[in-house]
Amino acid sequence: MHVDVWHEVGERNVGRAGLLLIGLIVLLAIFAPVLTPYSPRENTSTQAFSRPSTDHWLGTNDARQDIWTQLLYGARTSLSVGFGVALLSGFISVLVGGTAAIFGGLYDRFWMRIVDATIAIPDVVVIILVAAYLRPNVLLMILLLSALSWPGGARVIRAQTLTLKERMHVSAARTFGAGWSHLLFRHIVPDLAPVLVAIMIQDARRAVFMEAGLSFLGISDPSVMSWGKMMQYARVFTYLEVWKWWLLPTGLALSSTLIGLSFTGYALESALDPRLRDRDDHAEGGV
Amino acid sequence: MLNIQDLKVSYDGALILAGVDLDLLRGDSLAIIGESGAGKTTLGLALMGLGEGRVSGRVLLDGKDLTTLDEVARRRIRGKEMAMVFQNVEDALNPIMTVSDQIKEAIDVHRERGDPGYVGDRVRRLFRAVGLDEAKGRSFPHQLSGGEKQRALIAMALANDPQVLILDEPTASLDAVTKAEITRLLRERMENKIALVITHDISTAARLTDKMAVLYAGRIVELGDTQDLLGSPRHPYTRGLIRSSPNMTTPKDLQGIPGRMIHGVSGCPFSDRCTQRIEICSEAVPPLVEAGGRLIACHRGGIVPLLELSRVVTRFGGLAAVDGVDLTLYEGETIALVGESGSGKTTLAKTVIGLFDLAEGEMRLEGEPLVRRDRDFYRKVQMIYQNPKESISHRMTVLDAVTEPLLIQKVGGAAERIEIAKRVLEEVELSTDEAFLKRYPHQISGGEAQRVAIARALVLNPKLLIADEPTSALDPSVQAKILKLLLDIQEKRGLAILFITHDIALARKVSDRLAVMLKGKIVEEGSAGGVTTAPIHPYTMRLLEVAPDLDPKGRGMSGPWAVPEGPTIRAREF
Repeated sequence: MHVDVWHEVGERNVGRAGLLLIGLIVLLAIFAPVLTPYSPRENTSTQAFSRPSTDHWLGTNDARQDIWTQLLYGARTSLSVGFGVALLSGFISVLVGGTAAIFGGLYDRFWMRIVDATIAIPDVVVIILVAAYLRPNVLLMILLLSALSWPGGARVIRAQTLTLKERMHVSAARTFGAGWSHLLFRHIVPDLAPVLVAIMIQDARRAVFMEAGLSFLGISDPSVMSWGKMMQYARVFTYLEVWKWWLLPTGLALSSTLIGLSFTGYALESALDPRLRDRDDHAEGGV
Repeated sequence: MLNIQDLKVSYDGALILAGVDLDLLRGDSLAIIGESGAGKTTLGLALMGLGEGRVSGRVLLDGKDLTTLDEVARRRIRGKEMAMVFQNVEDALNPIMTVSDQIKEAIDVHRERGDPGYVGDRVRRLFRAVGLDEAKGRSFPHQLSGGEKQRALIAMALANDPQVLILDEPTASLDAVTKAEITRLLRERMENKIALVITHDISTAARLTDKMAVLYAGRIVELGDTQDLLGSPRHPYTRGLIRSSPNMTTPKDLQGIPGRMIHGVSGCPFSDRCTQRIEICSEAVPPLVEAGGRLIACHRGGIVPLLELSRVVTRFGGLAAVDGVDLTLYEGETIALVGESGSGKTTLAKTVIGLFDLAEGEMRLEGEPLVRRDRDFYRKVQMIYQNPKESISHRMTVLDAVTEPLLIQKVGGAAERIEIAKRVLEEVELSTDEAFLKRYPHQISGGEAQRVAIARALVLNPKLLIADEPTSALDPSVQAKILKLLLDIQEKRGLAILFITHDIALARKVSDRLAVMLKGKIVEEGSAGGVTTAPIHPYTMRLLEVAPDLDPKGRGMSGPWAVPEGPTIRAREF
């Protein structure tokens, strides 16, 4: 099959919109220090609750901190958690799902029961309990969210690997004496790439959402700048006019990130699954 | 009785015969075969006492040592008790004497008193015996045809009814029909004599003699019963000779022997051309020892069995796809596994290479039981697949694909791996320029892709290649080229090939032996020629009936057998 999946994603409006949104937010997060003269915790000399002005594009909050700056740095946290979880969780999914499919037997059954058990546990409850106890920083948050999100991916990767490993070139590599790591990373993962990216985007989306949620509940590390936390603080002052440039922009930023990831993931999935394709005129005949 | 003991002949210090031992009784006929330069003619001349080099060892005729006799005594024996028919028909006769005069002369030199009546009578009988018209006796040699000259020479050799008859290439320059007549004649005249037939023509040797000795670089490497030796050669050189001589018995394409004969190689004389040599082969000369009713001089005891399968069973669930297979594959030979799809051929191959698990039975590689397949195993056994483009990852370039086994086996550095890959690509007749090395499987033709797959399998220098329908996805012309390539590689490297195909017509062209599979069992196995001309199992007959031929009525291969009546045999019941 020589279908260029990425080309297809770019062709779709949904996919294009998703990629555009994510790209925009990534740029904002990366260039945060250039886009603002303040640091997120800096108590500026401006009055608290001041309206948006040329100095403070989104005004200031109750502690005279610049809201625009907080929004930019909040994006860094959200995206770090999102990317971190996507990478780590994706890696574990490949490792567990891939090796389970390659080795089979008892090893396979062992890991699949672990996966079943983990999926059966309501993870929101577990995360809230653990987070409340640990008050996790960004790194711990990534570990915690990854530990609960890899099993779903592992199941998909295993199913895909089971078909891929029957391909002749994988058999051929086995008859050169290749070990599992060579088979998995040189032959199977390249063919898995689009599926894997779809899984990773799902993981990232869930992670961004969970991080915001935990911060909103106030059970993450208090020193971490985060959209969830901003919304929690802003919520207290909704009787003032300040929600218009404090709560609303933060909510929009979070929503845009989630929508961007969802759109990209959706476009990717429909490009991968021929049944979801509304037109198949791109599909070149494979050899 | 003729006993030859440690006969050595050297010219200018070069040992042409390096110690030959032979014991022959009256009534024995022995063929000495080998390539030119092996020392065959030197042996004949040394026995006659006509050799020019330095001779050592003993030649005992009825207990009398001929090598110690002086020239006068030798002359008395030569032509009377021992006679030789020389190789070159054109030069062996005196051009200015009539043929009958020359034969008379041969008789006269061994008689004290002339009795013209007796001599004339004897000549007439000799002419009759060799089937030559008496009137021809008055002709000069240039007035006779090649066959007639050969007959005259034979009459001359038989003139004194010698005990030992040495024939040096007796049929070399004759056409096929004359050759057959002369062969029949010789066969009759050789009875009750000690006959030595020196020839490189194996089919003549096969018709004339009961025993056969294979001479290589002045040494006998294999000696045994003619039919037995030709049917199942045990020395790699003997097999090479048979493979390179055209005949009607073996349907496989002709293959040569790599390298050329050099005298004075240390150790086994054949070691530098042998594909199964081990360390000792270049160190010590192997003695000629008896093994299985035959004498053979080989450190490894002849061609070694590479892969031995006994009662191999492979199961899928409860179904035995391979159900008790016994098969032995020797070094450097091809066995074709033939049968329709579903007969278990591919399953057997994949069980050997380790893609399927063995349920029962035993497999041995080079005598060692195969339990675990580690990296070393895959250095010895490789496989090529039916669909070359699928067997190469579509994400790998030609160079990536060919170097992949080396990478897995951790052979050399990156530069060395590329070097090896290029060398093997040249061996399979592919381009090694950068543009080609960077191509992907979908950018090359099917034939090229299969060559890449072959190169990839050869890059580890395996001893056994399993070829699973390697050409069934290719055009006929490309198929022919790929098969020729495989045979060439086999010749060069001594590669054993397990060739899997459903096409029995194809199988007979590439294989030494043929095994027919049906429902997971081998129902018939034998030489490719034997199985395709005289099948025993009804399923083999059926396969031959439906095999492709060029006769429009489909009678190309209908042999003397009749397919038994009854329901058609199929691999699977539908």
